[in-house]
Amino acid sequence: MAGAVADRVWRDSAPDAIEHDLAVLWRELGQGEIKIARAVMSNLIVVRAPAKDRRALTDIVSGLPLEQVTARHPSRTIVLEHCHRNTSDQPFAAGVGIVTYGPPAARYGVEQIVVRSVCPEAPLLSMLRRLVRGDVPTSVWWTEDLSDGAPFDPLLTVGRQLVYDSQQWKDVRRGLSAILPLVDNHRIDLADLNWRRLAPLRRALLHARGPLKGDGWRNVTIEISHAPGQAAIAALLGGWLRSERPPDAPIVAVEPRVAERDALIAVTVADMAAILTARGAEVSMPSEPPLVVAAPRESHAEAIAAEMRSLSPDATLLAALRALRS
Amino acid sequence: MTIVIFGGAGDLAHRKLLPALYNLNLDGLLPPRVAIVGVGRKPTTDDQYRAFAKDGIEKFSRRPIDVHAWETFAAALFFGAADIDSPEGLAPLGARLDIIEHERGLNGDRIYYLAIPPTLFQPTVKQLARSRFVPASDGKTARVIVEKPIGRDLASARAINDAIADVFEERQIYRIDHYLGKETVQNILVMRFANSIFEPLFNQKYVDHVQITVAEEEGVGTRAGYYEQAGALRDMMQNHILQLLAMVAMEPPHSLDPDVIRDERLEVLRSLRHLEGEDVDANVVRGQYAGGFIAGKPVPGYRNEKNVKSASRTETYVALRVSIDNWRWAGVPFFLRTGKRLPKRASEISVHLKDVPPILFNADPSARLDPSILSIRIQPDEGFSLGINSKVPGPHVQVFPVKMDFHYGSTFGGTSPEAYERLLLDVIAGDATLFMRRDAVEAAWQWVMPILDRWEQRGDHGLSSYPAGEWGPADGEQLIQTTGRRWLAP
Repeated sequence: MAGAVADRVWRDSAPDAIEHDLAVLWRELGQGEIKIARAVMSNLIVVRAPAKDRRALTDIVSGLPLEQVTARHPSRTIVLEHCHRNTSDQPFAAGVGIVTYGPPAARYGVEQIVVRSVCPEAPLLSMLRRLVRGDVPTSVWWTEDLSDGAPFDPLLTVGRQLVYDSQQWKDVRRGLSAILPLVDNHRIDLADLNWRRLAPLRRALLHARGPLKGDGWRNVTIEISHAPGQAAIAALLGGWLRSERPPDAPIVAVEPRVAERDALIAVTVADMAAILTARGAEVSMPSEPPLVVAAPRESHAEAIAAEMRSLSPDATLLAALRALRS
Repeated sequence: MTIVIFGGAGDLAHRKLLPALYNLNLDGLLPPRVAIVGVGRKPTTDDQYRAFAKDGIEKFSRRPIDVHAWETFAAALFFGAADIDSPEGLAPLGARLDIIEHERGLNGDRIYYLAIPPTLFQPTVKQLARSRFVPASDGKTARVIVEKPIGRDLASARAINDAIADVFEERQIYRIDHYLGKETVQNILVMRFANSIFEPLFNQKYVDHVQITVAEEEGVGTRAGYYEQAGALRDMMQNHILQLLAMVAMEPPHSLDPDVIRDERLEVLRSLRHLEGEDVDANVVRGQYAGGFIAGKPVPGYRNEKNVKSASRTETYVALRVSIDNWRWAGVPFFLRTGKRLPKRASEISVHLKDVPPILFNADPSARLDPSILSIRIQPDEGFSLGINSKVPGPHVQVFPVKMDFHYGSTFGGTSPEAYERLLLDVIAGDATLFMRRDAVEAAWQWVMPILDRWEQRGDHGLSSYPAGEWGPADGEQLIQTTGRRWLAP
């Protein structure tokens, strides 16, 4: 389900008038000739850090593929630009809109709420509780670099899933220190888009060498190298390999050197070599033809929508992160 | 028809009644010959009263003032002063009404709306009788509308009902519970009994449990004087929420006759399992809000509100686990909650269907399926939705809960009539379906009394605190969590 945007309506609002103003917009749309169904499968809280060049509320959504995400997974979208400050005269500004999709015979609309907040966490939590619908799951999409700051508590209180992309991390150690405390928080599931990118390589390695607990992984030395900016995905691979191998297995070495060709990461396991590129994973073994697993062709928006549809915790990711903690 | 509003210069008339009558006029639903007479102690001219009405309509009407419609409406507005405390206090009003009715060619049919404090119900009704405002049998119609609260316990409710019954017959009495006038509440009957899909599921075989939440964002505001004496159980649970419960749980009526429907609602109230003594402690949670945040703004705790005692024991939150001991609902818990200073204003009923056997898509305990839930949203986001599990498109069997959502705003456009519009129209038409009969009011009080008695015994013990902006105290969460369920936040 990914209809083209048919129309957008928008109005400035106030924090305590958001629901009222959305109702007004729906009524206005309801009076038109084309009937529009409200579509809401989830709440999606999209978090952005404040930026000086974003003055208007509508600027807060600029540069984000929000409409592509909600076309695929219709969600009440709450875009939040939050600045933690202990006092503020004007803690909140808000605007509301409805984006409609699809042909006239099957038109649906998705609510969009934009909030700019400057306040401590307690008022922010009261605001978020007011805005999320309780009858659908709530995903939090952290659009910023988690190595610059951990997600604030109100998001973890109202959210069921935290979607982030560790590829953005400038400092992997700090990024991990933001995420690792959440690994044992059973209220919130973690969804790392970078983990998704790693999937073809994980599949290829398991296909080539068998389960991580198997003999193919015992007593072998594993080395991982990665391209600049790909330290996080290399760390995830290392964590995954460590997570299920026997405790006495040799330590996985992760090297920040440039990987071969256009590889994001490269890994050697004894005499086997594997690389992950944007196109997929390729495993080379002596006297055997290369083993190739293609990466799914999906946009950023498709990846986010796909993660939002998954409501079960990703046990393998959690195990990999736990391995990185130790 | 003459509509006489006692308390005509009060807040209810200003915010609700006059805007409702104006909107009925706008839709051409008022009788062609009508007079609306506000009654109050303070002498006020008709023109002053029209200005008061216009202000209320401008501020609170769902539709803006239309100049032409306002002129015809204003011409039907009058004011009469009256002193209920004086033995002959209604005599001048009687004379005024006679003149207005004569001048406007009205036949003397009257509706008396008691938009006054409950302490004034009995003296006002007695005065109506003494001043011969209620015709015996001369063919004229007289009806009386009584606003809640009808009493603060069973004894006082009976006293009020007795006093009104001395003057009016039950068929002439319209006890308002404005919740019953809401479109979405009326739609409960239509949804249940005009669709073959839902009614077969509404029983203990398919329903796991039912939740009713009536959440208010506001604090006690300017109503502390009343609320200190009432609390959440009397203010919301005894009337609105038990009536919602009755609408959801009632048996199919054999006709749309008002008394047939009211009989079925009454049966539900009579089937409620009584809670007494320690059962109250185990099944009822009460709380009081402390300071916190609402919509990002700091708000004071209840005991710091104006006109509230610093050691007040008044509950601002109440949650109950209720059983209905009849064939249909045996073993199905109903969880009811209401509170002030909760995160958002919302009234919602959710019917949670039983889980499917854990054999196929939920065989793995870590992959639990969301239960199918029918949510009836009463306000503010009027509509209902049915959550069902669906396969996500793709090569894997991945299940995601999707919604079939009916949303008044986007489906019908425009604004729904206010509850008071519908209720006033029904009184004019003589249809009592959406009003509470004496036996229902007293049955509700009868059920509530042991809870109030137990609280009285226990004093402060068992009164939990919750920060404003939270969904109530932790005890309220535990009430449902100990059964393996959880509250569905609206």
